Amino acid sequence: MIRRVLAIAAVVVTALLLQSTVFGQLRLLGVRPELLYLVTIAIALLEGPNEGATVGFASGLAQDFLMNEPKGLTALTLTLLGYSVGMFRQFIVSPSPLVPTIVVAVGTAAGLAFYEIVSVLLGNFHEQAAYGVRVALLAALYNAVLTPILYPLLRRITEGSRPRRVVRF
Amino acid sequence: MVTRSRPRSTRLLVIALVSISLAIITLDYREGDAGPLAEAGRWTQTVMAPLQQGVSTVTRPIGDFFSGLAHLPSLERDNADLRGQVADLQTQIAGAGDIQDRLRTLEDLLHLKQTLDPTGIPAVVIGNGVSNFEWTITISAGSDDGVAVDQPVVAGSATTPRLVGRVVSVTPVSADVQLLIDQNFAVAGRLSPTRATGLVRGRGEQDPRMDGIPQDTQIPLDGDQPVQVFTVSYEINGQHGLYPPGILIGEVASVIQSTNALETAVTVRPAVDFSALEYVLVYKTDQGQGGSTG
Repeated sequence: MIRRVLAIAAVVVTALLLQSTVFGQLRLLGVRPELLYLVTIAIALLEGPNEGATVGFASGLAQDFLMNEPKGLTALTLTLLGYSVGMFRQFIVSPSPLVPTIVVAVGTAAGLAFYEIVSVLLGNFHEQAAYGVRVALLAALYNAVLTPILYPLLRRITEGSRPRRVVRF
Repeated sequence: MVTRSRPRSTRLLVIALVSISLAIITLDYREGDAGPLAEAGRWTQTVMAPLQQGVSTVTRPIGDFFSGLAHLPSLERDNADLRGQVADLQTQIAGAGDIQDRLRTLEDLLHLKQTLDPTGIPAVVIGNGVSNFEWTITISAGSDDGVAVDQPVVAGSATTPRLVGRVVSVTPVSADVQLLIDQNFAVAGRLSPTRATGLVRGRGEQDPRMDGIPQDTQIPLDGDQPVQVFTVSYEINGQHGLYPPGILIGEVASVIQSTNALETAVTVRPAVDFSALEYVLVYKTDQGQGGSTG
C-alpha cells in the first residue's frame, strides 16, 4: 500500500515538474498540456472511481498549491473528473487502444470547461471566453497526443505497484 | 452485499473529497495570503524549487532546440535586420558617451536621487507556471537572497533594463514572478517621444494594452524610431509606485480607436520574449510592500 502511494505520488510530482518546466516551453499554439488531468483520467480508467477520485483530489490540490490563484478549484475539478471517468469505465466494452486517447481528450476538455465555468462563477476568470474555449480544446488535443506515450507507462506503474493478492483456483 | 457496498463507499469518498475542496476554496478566499493554506502553498513551492531547477537545467537546451526550430524561418530575416541595426547603433554609441557624461554632470547639479539599486539580485528562471490561466515564472532567488513581494523584476543589464514583472510570492529559495502580460498586472507607463502617460495592463495572450493616454497625443507608428513605453515614477499621497522610472516595457504595436473622446489607447508589444527568458534581475526597492500596483 505504501509502495503504491509513493509510486503515484512520484507520478504526480513528475507530472507537475514537467508541466512547469519542459511543457511550459513546448506549447501547442500557446497552450500547454494539462498533465494532471491526463494522469487522473488514466488512473480512473485503470483503477476505477475510488482511486480516480482520490488521485484527482491529491494531484489537483498539489497543482493548486503551486498556483497563485485561489486554491481548491483544481482539486474539486479533478475529484469529480476522476470519479466520473471511473464510473464511465464500466460502459467501455471495446478493447481498442484508441479508447484511452478518446476518453482523455473528452475528459480533459470537459474538466477544463468545468474549471473555467466555476472560475467565472467565483469571479476569478479574467480571460476572454474565446481563450477559455481555445485552452480547453488545444489542451485536450495535446493530452490526447501524449496519451499513447504516457498511458502504457502509467499502466505499468499502477500494475507494478498493486498490492499482491494470492489467487487460488 | 459486497458488490452493493462498494459503490456506496465510493460515493461517500467523493462527497467527502468534494466537501473538502469546497471548504478549501472558501477558506482560501477568506484568508488570502496569511492563512495556513497559503503557508502550505509556500511549503510546496519550496520543495518543488530545487526539483524544477534540476529539470530546467537538463531540459532547457531541448526546449530551446524545439522553439528554435519553430522560429527558423524568421531567423534569417531577423539576422539581416539585426546586422543593419548593429551598424546603426554603433554610430549612435559613438555620440552616446558624451551625452552620458553631460547627463551625469547635470544629475549631480540637480542632486537627483538614484532610485535604482544597480546591484539587483540575479536569478535564473527555473519554471514557467503550471497553469494555462496565469502567466508567471519561478526564479531561483528567494527571501534568503533578499527577494520580497512586490519587487520589480527585469531582464537585460542594469543599464538597459526591460520589465519582466513583479514578485508575487516568495519562499526561502525561490520566488514566483507575475509577468507583465498577466491579466492582473498593471503598471504606469510613459510613451518615449511624447512623455504622455497611461496605465499598461496585461491581457494574457494578447499584447498588453495602455489606457488613459490623452487624446491629442501624437503616436507616430510609421516613423523610423519605434514608440517605446517606459515605466514612470509617481507619488500619490506619499505612496510611491512600485517601479523605478526608465524600465523599458515595450513598443507600441497599434493604436486602438476608442469611442472615448478624452483619451486614447494603444497595444504594447513587450520588450521581453517571455518564452526564451533565462536570466532576470530582481530590484531591491525600499518602497516594496507598499501594497499598491502600478
